[in-house]
Amino acid sequence: MADNPKEYQIQPGDFAPLDKQAGPDNEHIAAPSLTFGQDVWRRLKSNKTAFTSFIILVLLFLMAFGGRAIYHQNPNEQAPRYANLPPKIPGVNLPGFNGHIKQSGQDVDAYAQAGAGKDVHYILGTDYLGRDLLARIMYGTRISLEIALIATLIDLGIGVTFGIISGWKGGRVDLFMQRIIEILSSVPSLVVMVLMATAFQKTGMASIIAALALINWTTMARLTRAQTLQLKNQDFILAARTLGESAPKIAWKHLLPNLSSVIIIQTMFTIPNAIFFEAFLSYIGIGISSPQASLGTLINDGQKNFQFLPYQMWYPAIVLIILMLAFNLLGDGMRDAFDPKSKR
Amino acid sequence: MRKYLLKRIFYLILTLFIVATATFFLMKLMPGTPLQNEAKLTPSEKAAILAQYGLDKPVWMQYFIYIGGIFKGSLGLSFQFSDQAVSYLIGSRMGPSMQLGGQAMVIGVVFGIILGAVGAIRKDTWADRIATIISILGIAVPSFVLAILLQFYLGLKTGWFPVAGWQGFLYTILPTLALAASPLAETARFIRTDMVDVLSSDYIELARAKGLSKFGIVYHHALRNSLIPMVTLIGPLAAALMTGSMVVENIFSVPGIGEQFVKSILVNDYPTIMGVTIFYSALLCVLLLLTDIIYGIIDPRIRLSGNGD
Amino acid sequence: MNLKTAAKVTAVAGASLLFLAACGSKNSSSSSSSKNTATMAAQAELPTMDLSKSTDVWSSNMLNNTNEGLYRIGKNGSIKPGIAKDTKVTNGGKTYTFTLRKNAKWSNGDKVTAKDFVYGWQRTVNPKTASQYAYLYSGIENADQIVDGKKPVSSLGIKADGDYKLVVTLEKPIAYFDKLMGFVNFFPQNEKVAKNYGSKYGTTSKAMVYNGPYKMSGWTGTNLSWKLTKNNDYWDKKAVKMDTINYQVVKDNSTGLNLFNSGKIDDTVLSSQQVKNYKTNKNYKVRQTASTFYVEFNRADKDAKLAKAFKNKKIRQALSYAINRQQYVKSTLGDGSTVSKGYVSHNLAKNPETGADFTADAAVPEAVKYDQTKAKQLFKEGMKEIGETSLNIKLLSDDTEGAKKSTEFVQGAWEKLPGLKVTNQNVPFKTRLSRSQNGNFDTVISAWNADFTDPISFLSLFTSDNSYNNGKYDSAEYDELIKKAEGADANNKNARWTDMVNAEKQLMNDEGVIPIYQKSEAHLTRTSLKGIIWNTAGTNYNLKYMSVK
Repeated sequence: MADNPKEYQIQPGDFAPLDKQAGPDNEHIAAPSLTFGQDVWRRLKSNKTAFTSFIILVLLFLMAFGGRAIYHQNPNEQAPRYANLPPKIPGVNLPGFNGHIKQSGQDVDAYAQAGAGKDVHYILGTDYLGRDLLARIMYGTRISLEIALIATLIDLGIGVTFGIISGWKGGRVDLFMQRIIEILSSVPSLVVMVLMATAFQKTGMASIIAALALINWTTMARLTRAQTLQLKNQDFILAARTLGESAPKIAWKHLLPNLSSVIIIQTMFTIPNAIFFEAFLSYIGIGISSPQASLGTLINDGQKNFQFLPYQMWYPAIVLIILMLAFNLLGDGMRDAFDPKSKR
Repeated sequence: MRKYLLKRIFYLILTLFIVATATFFLMKLMPGTPLQNEAKLTPSEKAAILAQYGLDKPVWMQYFIYIGGIFKGSLGLSFQFSDQAVSYLIGSRMGPSMQLGGQAMVIGVVFGIILGAVGAIRKDTWADRIATIISILGIAVPSFVLAILLQFYLGLKTGWFPVAGWQGFLYTILPTLALAASPLAETARFIRTDMVDVLSSDYIELARAKGLSKFGIVYHHALRNSLIPMVTLIGPLAAALMTGSMVVENIFSVPGIGEQFVKSILVNDYPTIMGVTIFYSALLCVLLLLTDIIYGIIDPRIRLSGNGD
Repeated sequence: MNLKTAAKVTAVAGASLLFLAACGSKNSSSSSSSKNTATMAAQAELPTMDLSKSTDVWSSNMLNNTNEGLYRIGKNGSIKPGIAKDTKVTNGGKTYTFTLRKNAKWSNGDKVTAKDFVYGWQRTVNPKTASQYAYLYSGIENADQIVDGKKPVSSLGIKADGDYKLVVTLEKPIAYFDKLMGFVNFFPQNEKVAKNYGSKYGTTSKAMVYNGPYKMSGWTGTNLSWKLTKNNDYWDKKAVKMDTINYQVVKDNSTGLNLFNSGKIDDTVLSSQQVKNYKTNKNYKVRQTASTFYVEFNRADKDAKLAKAFKNKKIRQALSYAINRQQYVKSTLGDGSTVSKGYVSHNLAKNPETGADFTADAAVPEAVKYDQTKAKQLFKEGMKEIGETSLNIKLLSDDTEGAKKSTEFVQGAWEKLPGLKVTNQNVPFKTRLSRSQNGNFDTVISAWNADFTDPISFLSLFTSDNSYNNGKYDSAEYDELIKKAEGADANNKNARWTDMVNAEKQLMNDEGVIPIYQKSEAHLTRTSLKGIIWNTAGTNYNLKYMSVK
């Protein structure tokens, strides 16, 4: 070992300034800059369940609203000759999809029995009037979704406005508005909906939407109010106030963006709720009227033949269940995604 | 406390009053009378029948008579059953509904707690996953679908339980199960979320540090603290049970209020619709009041005061 | 909330897996009927057991088997003696003198006397009782005026002559009077019991007294099950074989079938797909009802264009030709119902001379035929006649299962006609009735169920002044024929028959209403149950001679 540390001499040339441009920048934000929305989307994507649900929902929406572009059957076209035919997919010889059913304990080719030709086949079978069940399910899903979405939108409007006003004004106004909510929420919502649907003379979609919208907004109002109460004393709102912004403008520009997560999450739970109530009302016979269909009426029709043609109830029921599942799970996922504390 | 109670009771009565008023006028808007053979009735017969139901008087008078009647426990006469008081109808139909509702509530809450607790303790294991699947399905599968499936598979195919009817305890099992699914799911979800929070809190860490057994911790510390907010679930659960009972009772031919309510709607039996609505609202209001009181008693952090938050 | 993802994915996937779940059904046909007991399903609650107030099918069924009037309606609508032992008709068919049997008793031990009949009848026509079927008394002396509140109740044409002789006076001969006497609203009532219970009379099985083959128990007034047990005070108790008949209300046909298959009930009504699967079952039975479903046109429609259209015979014919009834009944209804041969139902009445069915004598095959080309042709011609190119009509009906099916089917059939758009309106039964009666409809699918086994029960509906003539069918010839059948020819069976046959032909040739189908009930009834008597009109069930083998 020739080198003796003691003998090492430090010379000025040993130190050279680093190139400032090339070195690591501590101020630099390494991760890409994300807006709140992008962040939520990213977290949502990382949540497999929520993302699966999201995809499923997208598919269901496509099926419901755009399905007729691919599957051309008219959901209201009757072919009484072909009533109550089981599912048959050409080339598939699986029980349940080969057009055979059990009748009086015997396996019967229902298509042959109905005198249907070789080219007649219904992927999910037909109903009691010989209407294509797949087309009807697509149609029914659409109606169910339409009802739920419109109702939820109205709901949102009433609930959010009510909540913001109540929270913002405070005092007597708040107290009074809270009483209204209290009274409304101590009445069983379904009973009120039933009353509404009955009172509106069972006129179909409009009456159900009205009934759903008039009842379901209280939770939304309560949540927005609580959030508004919290927000209204925060500095940015105070600043806006001192600068003389008008109350509606503050609500629109400052409150709403900050309320959006609460609203979106709540919406995700309101929609399945609305779907459920619509199905329920239609099931007990005061919902959508024929020849319109919703998932509820389809289940109700199918239930009558459940023993013999289980598919008539199973398929709409499964669509309903998947819809409910997907919305609920997506809602869960959204809640996690919107909550900065739940980062994992 | 007393002031709070008085205030709540005042609001309860106010709520019921508003419900009664709203229902009354909604029903007045609609067609339909107790007349069965309207075309064949003579004017004096019609008058006699309408008088029997108090429908001969002007609407405002009918309203005051109706509201006054509620205080005396009278809800008018049913259109569907001749000479039958609605209050009697509700009274005689109450037993089965209450029994089913009670059983479903107990089963739902007990198993929901177990399921939720298991999920929280064994978080992220297969047990948790199964518990989660059950609870999420309980929310997604509507009670009417579940009831039909239960009736067909557990009633008819296997013959384990009676298919329908109301002749003893055995007959209550399937409808109870169909009704219990939703409270079970709600409870399990609720308990699980709450317990996951509780289990990660400091005092549980302390208990663990003291060397308490896992069961001891859950039973003595975690569960107890999770159960307190559970009380607030009772109201919504009861409301969900009322909803469920309408179809479940129908499918299983149970002589309950829900079954009657649906029938009344279908035959436009307005006095019964009004009566059941008021009854349901009263029930829910009282339940909500009770849960608030119980909540105040068992959770020392809550003070019952006259003011809202 | 931080649930493990896999669990939720599985949940979604699990639900999707349900797609594959399918099942076949297997049934164990054990029976709940043991020696002399059986369980039947009722399709609706029992609204009352008050003889004066019964208007519905089930209370009438129950009253008919727990009580008895002057006559009992037997097989094929035959008149069998009830409390009346002997009948004399005098005064050109206007006075009936009944001799009552002395051994008839109420279930509380009281004797059934002529006074019970007088009390029962007077109670029913008394406006204070608010009976809704009192119009059936029309034709009995002073009945109409009493019902209208213009004469005292005591002036009704019924008098007790001692305990066992009853004299009934009519205003004019009534050809079907004996059939009416088998109808529950004409049964005797026990004054003591009725007064004792007051407004509670007939509201529970206890607040009632019985003089028929069975007694009722276990009915609280609102519950869904009750029992008929043999009445040991019944005068003909020897003929009654059953000890107990249990009733269970089952509103849902699938529940009913499940109950039947699990052996809990011995009789249930089937719906269409159930029929397809049980058609070959040994327990399968079709019970026809005297109930016709038909389309009415509102000739007084507020929409003048439609009123004009409905007054046009060709358009009415076109709408009739457009409906493929055969297919509807077979494929869609599939519950054993049959295509209407005319407006009056099949198996209701027979020619007094030849024994031929009314529908055979009065057949107008063209009126219920399906012919789409003809329909289109006639529709085009009709539209030209009224000078229109398109019509937009609403089709009103109930919101029940069957009614919805009917409207959907008819809508589908009619919309095949060029220029015709149909909107369905399914509303609750009572709303439909009130709308029909107020003329607030374009077309309506109505049903009529005969009160008794005589064609007049159907035909009297469409005289121009009848309150049930919702579509305002107006034919002087028709009115004249019905008037003759009810008046001048009332005592001449053959002439009356011809009048009614011609009236029906007139109505059908005019296409005054479009008959669609005649309702039947498809049942599963255990073959071990014997002796159940079913009648198409009036009260359906007579279980007096029922037995279990």
